[in-house]
Amino acid sequence: MSSGQGRKLLLVEDNEVNREMLQRRLLRAGYTVVCAADGQQALDQMRAEAPDLMLLDINLPVKDGWQVAREASSDEALRSIPVIALTAHAMESDRQQALDSGCDDYATKPIDFPNLLVKIETLLKS
Amino acid sequence: MSLKPKSLSLRARLYLFSVAILTLFAVNVATHLWGSFARSESLVAYRDAAAAAQLVNDLEQGLESARQQVLVLATLRETTDDPLGDAERETAMADLALLEQRLQRLGALAGEATDDYYRRLFDSANALLGEWETFYSNYNRPDAAVSVESPIRYNDTRQKLEELDQRQEFLAIQRSSTIDGTIRLTDRITVIGFVTTIAVTMLLVILLIRSANSSLLRLKTGVQRFGSGDLSYRIDENRDAGEIRDLARTFNDMSGKLATAIDEVNSAKADADAANAAKSMFLANVSHELRTPLNAIIGYSEMLQDELGDAGEMDRDQFHHDLGTIILSGRQLLGLINEILDLSKIDTGKMQINLEDLAPMPLAVQVCDALSPLLAQRDNRLELDLADEQDISMFSDAGKLQQIVTILFSNACKFTENGLIKVSARAEDNWLLLAVADEGIGMTPEQQGRVFETFEQAESSTGVKYGGTGLGLAIVRDFCTMLGGDISLSSAPGQGSRFTVRLPLTGPVSNPEAA
Repeated sequence: MSSGQGRKLLLVEDNEVNREMLQRRLLRAGYTVVCAADGQQALDQMRAEAPDLMLLDINLPVKDGWQVAREASSDEALRSIPVIALTAHAMESDRQQALDSGCDDYATKPIDFPNLLVKIETLLKS
Repeated sequence: MSLKPKSLSLRARLYLFSVAILTLFAVNVATHLWGSFARSESLVAYRDAAAAAQLVNDLEQGLESARQQVLVLATLRETTDDPLGDAERETAMADLALLEQRLQRLGALAGEATDDYYRRLFDSANALLGEWETFYSNYNRPDAAVSVESPIRYNDTRQKLEELDQRQEFLAIQRSSTIDGTIRLTDRITVIGFVTTIAVTMLLVILLIRSANSSLLRLKTGVQRFGSGDLSYRIDENRDAGEIRDLARTFNDMSGKLATAIDEVNSAKADADAANAAKSMFLANVSHELRTPLNAIIGYSEMLQDELGDAGEMDRDQFHHDLGTIILSGRQLLGLINEILDLSKIDTGKMQINLEDLAPMPLAVQVCDALSPLLAQRDNRLELDLADEQDISMFSDAGKLQQIVTILFSNACKFTENGLIKVSARAEDNWLLLAVADEGIGMTPEQQGRVFETFEQAESSTGVKYGGTGLGLAIVRDFCTMLGGDISLSSAPGQGSRFTVRLPLTGPVSNPEAA
């Protein structure tokens, strides 16, 4: 339960219900969680909070997830933060697009939470 | 290439060509006949001239021998008294008659041009012959004086004969040279005509071949271009006439019809492709829309399960709230599934309508009340303008009317932020006019044309930004049609949208399913 060891995650999700749910589950898993509700907020929070990892929903207002991922990977200060894309689109092309945009991994909704934790830990360790 | 046959039909050109050749042929034949006629004329003239010359010669000799005989007899008469025998005299008279006969034949051969010469000869010769006849008839009469020694008359006749002969010869030469000239001329004309005929025939053949060839080449070029797919190409119809132009026109018509047919096929294909693309997009959107509430349902359920396993007292209020979220997400999912189902029913013609007497105003109020949480999501305000006639009633399908208002109201809330949403309804003539207006993002005319189509949203990215499957307005439009009414839209980008539904108060007429 306390695998998170206080590592800081940035959770970007515009759907309030889903954001709240995931935030609580990550907190329970022992992580520190900061949230953002749109793409611009996500980039601001990355700079302000310097999280260890970002969980990035793709369908976001203002700037979508692909754009956030691209901007982050071209920014010297933000490049080192690993990104896991979260999307309700389940097509193979979406997965490829996530990796092309600079995301490090990819998870589809509905989220398989234990699997997501494994992905988070893998990226945090590397 | 400025020759006239360009504008003639092929048949006319062939006719013209044949007529030209036949004319040339006729000219040749006529020239030849003229030449032949001249040749025969010349032959006749030569023969006449030869006959005349022969006669002159004979006459000369006859006269000579007759004179000799007369001179001999005259000498004999002076020296002897021998009378002239009857037989002898007869012979001499016959000779003279023969000479006279020849003289007359010469006269028959003499033309107008030698008439004067002949008349002078005739007078002179007649006198001479008369003298000799008198000599013979008076020979045996001793008293009669016989004087024939004088050569004057004879010489005169000889001279006249000489003159006629010369004249005839001169005329014959003159005439034959004229005829020879004619023969040479006709020969030349025949040769020139023949060569000209060959040259003109070849020229006409070449022109005909070239013009026919260029016409056919234009047709061939056109057909080749049609064949290679260039259906906008047109064969120049005005360069030809008659059957070639008809053929060009027919080819052009054919190409036009082909182009139309291909356009139709292409547009049908484009429509089918667009429909397929819309369906794929729809499936992706449906998948996305189903996964979002499912994510909440599964996530919350798993989380509650985990929390139940935790030690210590659980927060009952939190637990209650979380279950509420699960239920809400489940209902959202159900609504979505119902929408898809509705559309499928409409598509397959299985959608039932249940007509009843209903009061539209309270129904609209009810829906707006029920959906008030949606207003709060984006800080929107609601203005209800449902006229004073709260008690008007109509014969329609309450469930469908409710769904229409729900969808329009949800859309207004979805696309408007911090604005006013106005729901108004009134009865006019025999119609219920229900309008939902917002102050949201609005639509371009092009988007307005598409927004009622199944699976379509104003933009394909709308589903990403605002959610939804592009089914709501398609369902509303179909419901309005089923209830005997229609829906109209006025909107501009950034100016908000206003949807107006028009439904008959007396229910859909002429719809057998309504009963």
